[in-house]
Amino acid sequence: MENIASNRLGLRRLLNLASMTPLGFLGLVLLGLFPILPYLNQGYLIRWFIWAAIVAAASMAFDFSGGYISIVNFGFSAFIGVGAYSSALIALRLGISPWLSMFLGILPAALLGFLVGAVSLRLRGMFAICFTWFVGLAFFGLAMKLVPLTRGPLGLRAPYLFKTSSNLPYFYVAFGMLVVTYIVLKWILRSHLGLAFQAIGQNVEAAMTSGIYPAWYRIINFTVSCGFAGWLGGFYAHYYGILTPDLMHTSKTVEILVIAYVGGRKSLWGGVLVAFPFVYAMEMVRSSLANLPGLNLIIYGLFLILIMIYYPGGLAESYQVYLGQSRNPLVRWLINK
Amino acid sequence: MNFQTVRHHFIKFYGWARSTGGITVILTAVLAILASIDKGVFILTNTFVTGGMWALVAIGITLIFGVMNISNFAHGEYFMVGSLAAYAIITPLNAHLQHHPNPWLLTVAPLIAIAGATLVGAVFGLITERLIFNQLRKRGKGNWLLNCFLVTIGISVILSNAYLLLFGASFRGILYYWDLPPILIFGVPVSVDRLFTFCLALFTLLGFWVFMKFTRTGQAIRACSQDERGARMVGISVNVVNIVVFCLGCAFAALAGASLLFMFPAYPTVGLMPLYNSWFILILVGLGNIEGTIPGGFIIAFLQVATRIYLGEGWENIIPMFIICLILVFKPYGIFAYSVRSVWEK
Repeated sequence: MENIASNRLGLRRLLNLASMTPLGFLGLVLLGLFPILPYLNQGYLIRWFIWAAIVAAASMAFDFSGGYISIVNFGFSAFIGVGAYSSALIALRLGISPWLSMFLGILPAALLGFLVGAVSLRLRGMFAICFTWFVGLAFFGLAMKLVPLTRGPLGLRAPYLFKTSSNLPYFYVAFGMLVVTYIVLKWILRSHLGLAFQAIGQNVEAAMTSGIYPAWYRIINFTVSCGFAGWLGGFYAHYYGILTPDLMHTSKTVEILVIAYVGGRKSLWGGVLVAFPFVYAMEMVRSSLANLPGLNLIIYGLFLILIMIYYPGGLAESYQVYLGQSRNPLVRWLINK
Repeated sequence: MNFQTVRHHFIKFYGWARSTGGITVILTAVLAILASIDKGVFILTNTFVTGGMWALVAIGITLIFGVMNISNFAHGEYFMVGSLAAYAIITPLNAHLQHHPNPWLLTVAPLIAIAGATLVGAVFGLITERLIFNQLRKRGKGNWLLNCFLVTIGISVILSNAYLLLFGASFRGILYYWDLPPILIFGVPVSVDRLFTFCLALFTLLGFWVFMKFTRTGQAIRACSQDERGARMVGISVNVVNIVVFCLGCAFAALAGASLLFMFPAYPTVGLMPLYNSWFILILVGLGNIEGTIPGGFIIAFLQVATRIYLGEGWENIIPMFIICLILVFKPYGIFAYSVRSVWEK
């Protein structure tokens, strides 16, 4: 039975449409208020939050293929980079507004995702990881070496989205992109496509027996996931204003991958929940212990190993265990049970 | 040798030469000869020096995968550990030799450095196995392959950043191990270090083959890689085999890092190149194929040397990568038609 009060307000229905629980909605509102709260409205903090929002959205797109169809895209940052470079180049060469080129940057990334998905159909498990990794490395190398186009390690200057030097509008754009990414991905996952993805992710042979043609779903999955990566890359380009091939390096993929797995496979929101405190803590360590370079990444690696050994389900599992079985009516209302 | 035997060998060779593996090997050999006629024989010597060592690193990964089902993406870091350890041993030795010249020690010092680095690599492997993979095996449930992959990424991040934290981002290298004039081989000068590295790789590979073929431990390792449960049933301690295998794999990587110190100075990300290369090799020859890594190592080394000479610095990773992607698409189980599909696809 649905709660009558919220039904009259239509809140529950609206939230259901956006695949959110009231708890998740509250969290989002809180997140949106972060940069205008006192003590948190400082320039450097907002910059960290923007990066965290990008990583969070990227981890969702990563989880969309890594968690659901169990094909780890180990060249994920290369797709972000392809989107970023194409968006910047389109804006620069054709003189289009960056708002439009951000969306045009989706096309090459999605096309690349389509091709990689279509070509790697026969590959599973480690083979698929290696293949996407090599594709990512190849594009990283190309970004390094195609100096006339990308200016290589010197960095490509991209036009900014806003004329202001304030970070606040960028934060809200990133925040909006985060929400849109979540809603669209969740919407796809709630359709019959999502069921097929999960079936493929669990057991390809069984999925085929029940009439699912894996190739088709895998290509769709890769195209969507990489398209979102390209979109986020476009925002990255027009926010930072300078692009170097470092964006496409494997270490960036690892950063996203850690967030996605610590958050929990097959949850989407787990990555978002983890990204903000994680990025904050990492940047804190890096800026306060500047004389100890690399310490933040050591903590990163340690975290990944400990999570994998002791708690492979990540944060999403603890949510299932502690909140999902709660008897408290308020908690149950908050998590839509 | 009568006509029948010759004919028999010819037919066997012809059959091999028509397979993908044969075509690739022969094509690479022909191209290597043509390239060395075109640009100079240093292409061949470079190929032989690095190829043997890449094969060694790749064998470590193959072995660890074959026995423990761990896809080791941290293997490059053991290469780094090896090169750092060799640097740490050879520098004080050389400083000592500056003040107290001793021709005998001068000759042996590089050997001490390489042996010490190998030992350090094995110890690192032992620590990693006991501290991480043993724990993971005890507690881990579910997707072992993927969890291991993520754990090795964590190890790689930790080790390379620990280097950065402890020793800084500077290059630590040496120009040569032995300050001797180059030896002439067919009129081509080849430095003693390179010749030694090649011989060391060959000897290690040979020793490894003997070890795997004729010792009881080697037999136990092979048994474990074929069927772990079966090996347990006949009384093999899988735990000990795992330790031996991981130490051996890491020791090989460290050995390669130490003996290539004069080409690749130690710095935090020195392990990336060997890691890429050994994964290229694994994909090229088929995962789990130990014998195939030796020709694979030379093929990859030649591809890289040739692209670097003909297209310039930086392209040596891009072109082979695209070629490997093509191989993965058309021949996912390697050019030598070796298949261990069941395990890798989980």
